Amino acid sequence: MVSSTRRQAAIELERRYHRGATEVLDRLRRAKAERGRIAPEDVDRLAAELGLPRAHVNGAASFYSDLGFGRRRGRAVRVCDGAACFAATRGTHLQAVRDAAEGGEDAGSVERVYCLGYCYASPAALDGETPHVGIDLAEQLAGRAPRGDPPIPFAAAVEDPVALSRLLGAGPAPWSVWEQVVSELGGAERVLREVTRSGLRGRGGAGFPAARKWELARAAPGVGPRYVVVNGDEGDPGSYADRLLMERDPHGVLEGTALAALACGADRGYVYVRSEYPAARDALRAAVLEARAAGHLGPNVHGSRFDFDVEVFEGAGSYVAGEETALLHSMEGLRGGAAPRPPFPAGRGGLYGAPTVVNNVETLSALQWIVDRGGDAYAARGTERSHGTKLVCLNEAFARPGVYEVDFGIPLEQVCVGLGGGLRDGRKLRALQVGGPLGGFLAPEELDTPLSIEALAERRVSLGHGSLVAFDERVSGRELLLHLWRFADDENCGTCSPCRVGSRRGLEIAERIAADQAETGDAQRLDELLETMEQASLCGFGQGVPAPVRGMLRIYGDDVGLRQ
Amino acid sequence: MKVEVDGHTVTVPEGATLLEAVRAAGGAVPTLCNDDRLSPSGACRICLVCAEGRTVAACVTPAAEGDRIRTDDPRSLAAARRTLELIVSELSEHALELPPERSELVRACETLGVTRDNFRGEQIPGRRDDSHPYVKLDTDLCIACGRCVRMCDEVQGTFALELVGRGFATVVAPGSGGSWLESDCVACGGCVDSCPTGALSEPGFLDLRPIERVIVTTCGYCGVGCALDVHVREGEVAAVTPNHSSPTNRGHACVKGRFAHGFVHSPDRLTTPLIRRGGDLEPASWDEALAFVAGRLLRIRERHGPDSIATISSARATNEENYLVQKLMRAVIGTNNVDNCSRLCHSPSAAGLTASFGVSGGTNPFDDFDRVNCFLLAGANPTEAHPVVGARMKQRVIQGASLVVVDPRRIELAGYADVHLRPRPGSNVAVFNGLARVLLEEGFADETFLAERAEELDALRDVLRDHSPERVEEISGVPASELRRAARLYGSAGCASIVYGLGITEHSHGTDGVRTLANLAVLTGQVGTDGGGGVNPLRGQNNVQGASDMGALPDYLPGYQRLTDDEAVARVEREWGVRLDRRPGLRILDMFAAALDGRLKALWVIGEDIAQTDPNTHRVEAAIDACELVISQDLFLSRTARRADVVFPAASFLEKDGTFVNFDRRVQRVRRAVSPPGDALPDFEIVNLMAGALGADLGCPTPDAAMDEIARVAPDFGGISHARLDRVGPIHWPCRSADDPGTPTLHLERFATASGKAQLAARGYLPPGEDSDAEYPFVLMTGRRLEHYNAGTMTRRTSNLDLLPQERLEVNPADAARLGLSAAERAEVTSRRGRIEVRLEVTERVAPGQLFMAFHFPEALANVLTSDACDDVTSCPEYKVTAVRLGPAGATS
Repeated sequence: MVSSTRRQAAIELERRYHRGATEVLDRLRRAKAERGRIAPEDVDRLAAELGLPRAHVNGAASFYSDLGFGRRRGRAVRVCDGAACFAATRGTHLQAVRDAAEGGEDAGSVERVYCLGYCYASPAALDGETPHVGIDLAEQLAGRAPRGDPPIPFAAAVEDPVALSRLLGAGPAPWSVWEQVVSELGGAERVLREVTRSGLRGRGGAGFPAARKWELARAAPGVGPRYVVVNGDEGDPGSYADRLLMERDPHGVLEGTALAALACGADRGYVYVRSEYPAARDALRAAVLEARAAGHLGPNVHGSRFDFDVEVFEGAGSYVAGEETALLHSMEGLRGGAAPRPPFPAGRGGLYGAPTVVNNVETLSALQWIVDRGGDAYAARGTERSHGTKLVCLNEAFARPGVYEVDFGIPLEQVCVGLGGGLRDGRKLRALQVGGPLGGFLAPEELDTPLSIEALAERRVSLGHGSLVAFDERVSGRELLLHLWRFADDENCGTCSPCRVGSRRGLEIAERIAADQAETGDAQRLDELLETMEQASLCGFGQGVPAPVRGMLRIYGDDVGLRQ
Repeated sequence: MKVEVDGHTVTVPEGATLLEAVRAAGGAVPTLCNDDRLSPSGACRICLVCAEGRTVAACVTPAAEGDRIRTDDPRSLAAARRTLELIVSELSEHALELPPERSELVRACETLGVTRDNFRGEQIPGRRDDSHPYVKLDTDLCIACGRCVRMCDEVQGTFALELVGRGFATVVAPGSGGSWLESDCVACGGCVDSCPTGALSEPGFLDLRPIERVIVTTCGYCGVGCALDVHVREGEVAAVTPNHSSPTNRGHACVKGRFAHGFVHSPDRLTTPLIRRGGDLEPASWDEALAFVAGRLLRIRERHGPDSIATISSARATNEENYLVQKLMRAVIGTNNVDNCSRLCHSPSAAGLTASFGVSGGTNPFDDFDRVNCFLLAGANPTEAHPVVGARMKQRVIQGASLVVVDPRRIELAGYADVHLRPRPGSNVAVFNGLARVLLEEGFADETFLAERAEELDALRDVLRDHSPERVEEISGVPASELRRAARLYGSAGCASIVYGLGITEHSHGTDGVRTLANLAVLTGQVGTDGGGGVNPLRGQNNVQGASDMGALPDYLPGYQRLTDDEAVARVEREWGVRLDRRPGLRILDMFAAALDGRLKALWVIGEDIAQTDPNTHRVEAAIDACELVISQDLFLSRTARRADVVFPAASFLEKDGTFVNFDRRVQRVRRAVSPPGDALPDFEIVNLMAGALGADLGCPTPDAAMDEIARVAPDFGGISHARLDRVGPIHWPCRSADDPGTPTLHLERFATASGKAQLAARGYLPPGEDSDAEYPFVLMTGRRLEHYNAGTMTRRTSNLDLLPQERLEVNPADAARLGLSAAERAEVTSRRGRIEVRLEVTERVAPGQLFMAFHFPEALANVLTSDACDDVTSCPEYKVTAVRLGPAGATS
């Protein structure tokens, strides 16, 4: 929970004194890096320096994984236990890394994180900020095997790619559309009009029409600043499309940001990059400098009357912070819990109370194409209700893993087999996780489902971020159940009681089942728990945990061995 | 908008939540994270209802036209019940062992039929924190509902708490995670009051024995006038909590009213009268003491006349008591020698506001804070001295109101100010004139208002010629640019409120300070108008407004009726059946002078410790010693009582009936919660007994009878009676008849001056009575601390002493470094009148060359240093400007 008054006080202090609440996470990160842990004295000092209440800083310091981790100096290894890495090793790589670290001179800390975005080559870890990827992960970290860091494979499964157009050398040069639109009369209206016609919906998972969000921000009263925030907190394990775009096409992301800003009248942009993506952060920062130098950003861009600049903000480890209100809290140095909407960020609920449009990376990456080719051209693609193209991510279990751009409506069978080549090494698909931990599971015989928001919804699956993680026969139902609950327990923000306590109780039941110690009534209890979390939770997280668990139980059935 | 709840149609206002709709329909759903004082958070999720077929949390879901809501939907109810089962499963066993009246959680479990069976599992790790004397944390019972956090944020505004950890580990923690005592908590008690499970509790409620009764009364500390619920167990005060339905404090209180009640049962309460015999004060019966005093008073009056007797009445006593005291002095003794301690604090407000507007009272109600969009806070530190007002002001500022602080010190609210003007002590008049000049020059004046409702503009313009911002900067040190910014904020606000305190009045030209400050509201039409924020003095003591209202003043009869007003005098004489002396009596400082030169022989001091709180202590003590008879009427053997000839044991505010008037002229009921100890009596009874001993009957056997007489004597109180107050709650005077609803905002049609128009004051800057020089290079200001009150006689007998055990003189780091002084040592402070030793606090809060200390501690008697210099109009002492020297302790001796 973030009290609205605390937030309002931070906003007023920022407005009057520029107290710099946006610095909280960075300053805490530095304190942690210097001393291995954040002590109460650090909180006191930071609070005094930033002119913020001590409890404000302490609440944040205790919320984010990066800040609480370790309690030790030295080497900090973040080992991925996202769905793909878990699918690759049944989670055994985590223990292997821990075992290997145990004897080392510079033991430091080994921490579990959910997804580093290397799902195409799992398992993965970040040693500090250096990636190590591959099945011999523990050996790599111990220096006994060469470091693996394969690039993200990507391809277009469509003739005319949108989000991947620049990466594939199709379409106009970066910033060329921007340069033209920003200096033309009515450019802002053109962007808004074309995106409205395109029917583009947010690619972060919620699917809210992008242009409508912009219109809300345009219509918000007041003369103060307005913001566009790029949601680069690609938290869904299994998804790495945004990492691809941010690392390899940062100018495309920034150009999209600028176009969105023009359309909604924002004068400042932020890219919120999760701390699990250090290379994306660096690529974006470098791109911002280049774009400024080239005159794409800054005051009076390209001789227009439009001022716009972008800053890159780094997260500190929280899945829930990817939700838009939580993301803004995080930027304001607050705990990254979600807030009830209304007020909407595009109205008075935005960054520092200013109208703020939060758009996903993939959404913004489509804007150049849409403005260049027209909204109608985009709307003509995909299904009637899911327009355009979508990036999907296939995990390491596939023969040809990677990011694929597909038209909406393509059957999943075609994605998994036609593009992904089916499972590699003759493995057999047991369940396909779609859309991350809050998405859902499909059985092999359900792959006839078309890839669209509405068709998947009929199977009680939400597309989420478009990740497809294949689980083969090696992972048992019990292990998978435990994995799902561990994620829920680790990543729920703690605000509402059904999710806060329910996730722990779910984890405990899953642990009992995994240890073959299930108690009488656990099956019914689990059922009640899922129903309660779904009905009673405050935000999409707690409401979203139950459906995939149910879907998974449906597929694995007796294999889980729940006793009635 | 109409919605249907369980089949019944109700109408609710736009923006209402489903919870409000359910309540409007007479229904109820259990809640845990909801508190009507706070914004809803939707955290606990047990208020689930079914709306339009969906399960939603009623507290955070807005109602929509035509919504059909069911509170008995089986699916929603089951989800609510299981959610509560989950909550219970994370708590220690004793969560459900609390009595229902102490735990909303227990009551919710009873309502939903939840026991702790269904979901067992790990419990949250318990951590007890008993470091704080009043606020006790037991995380064993914490359900992370965040009510405490929101209370601290949204009502108190201290931001001392936050939920920490994530997920299952989420619990509340204070400050940076250390002990509660070390946190920023100011012990307003809001978190404890709101906690639904007992995770946060206080000593009085940790004792599980039942509370026998709850009495609603008005706080006896500062002048905010908070309504309090007094929880009584076995004849003693077990706890005090803020009354939730009070329009004044709206369910909030502070560390004094909320927790500092232990003095009531202090073992050193006076329980019997004392008479000085052979040098010692010895116990006596009431009969003996009354006879002794009556005999001495009659003899003194016979020998030296009635004007040789004087009374300092008490700003802490009730209206009825003050009324009785002045009646006894005027009608029985036959003198106007009665004054009260408003003389030492807000007499310049009385004089200044009367001269400007015609009424001695703040112009606007506290409730107007809700719509103010600029505060001009001058010479007041409300987050310490008037915490509930300070907190509400801070909330309004957080919501976006602008704030101009005029104070030499960097007080807490200066940290939220848009502009902080730090004038040299004694230069207020220059600053206010400078602001007035900018308002006029830059077109912020309300010309229509000035033309129709104000006078003396030309005279003011003349004076302002010498007060350009640049000239004001020379006098006050306030940068001209800041002065202009402040004037623009105030002038352009729409609804701007002036809130001020003793930093304006306690000066040699305090009345000029009030008048030149009031000018700003007149110039901009902010006073006497519907949209304006007015001019509002913050009263120091609980009933300092009422003591003056009741005529405990040497020149006014009850209701500010002048002794020169024939009609008023005739009305009073008729009611009392006596002839009044129409010459004004002595003011407090004049009483001391009269004692020292032999004109005053007897002094009766009620509820004041003049030997600690009045300026120039050595002289006050000499005056006490010079009198033939000094009576001290008090709860404790105060410094004054120790020098008295007779001591009367009095009752505290928790032990008496009557009324107080708070800072915004609200007359509020005071009700007896417990009995006074031993033979101690309420002042009301003592005064009546005294009259009896003098052979008189004051005709007011009970406080409510006294209020009825006040209504007959003082037209402004004509419609006020205890019965009416009990029925409708607080009433703002003037309230002239039974059907007069009272007057929250003054002067809406005309000002109460002779001409009916506001009088602009043309008063130029004059230097203070005392200034720093080569020998005494520092300026000392005195004032209050949050934890203590006045002479500290009450607060120092409570655990507030653990929160602030001693006084520390505030000194700027540059000065401390120059003099080689550190916080670890004691320092010596010397003025032209005396010398004290005190510990230091080295802080940027005070500017170089300035010092600040409070007067709460007898170990550090600030008033040994202060001077007799006083306001040229009202004799209010210049407590805020004393020239002193600072050095290491022992330098002189």
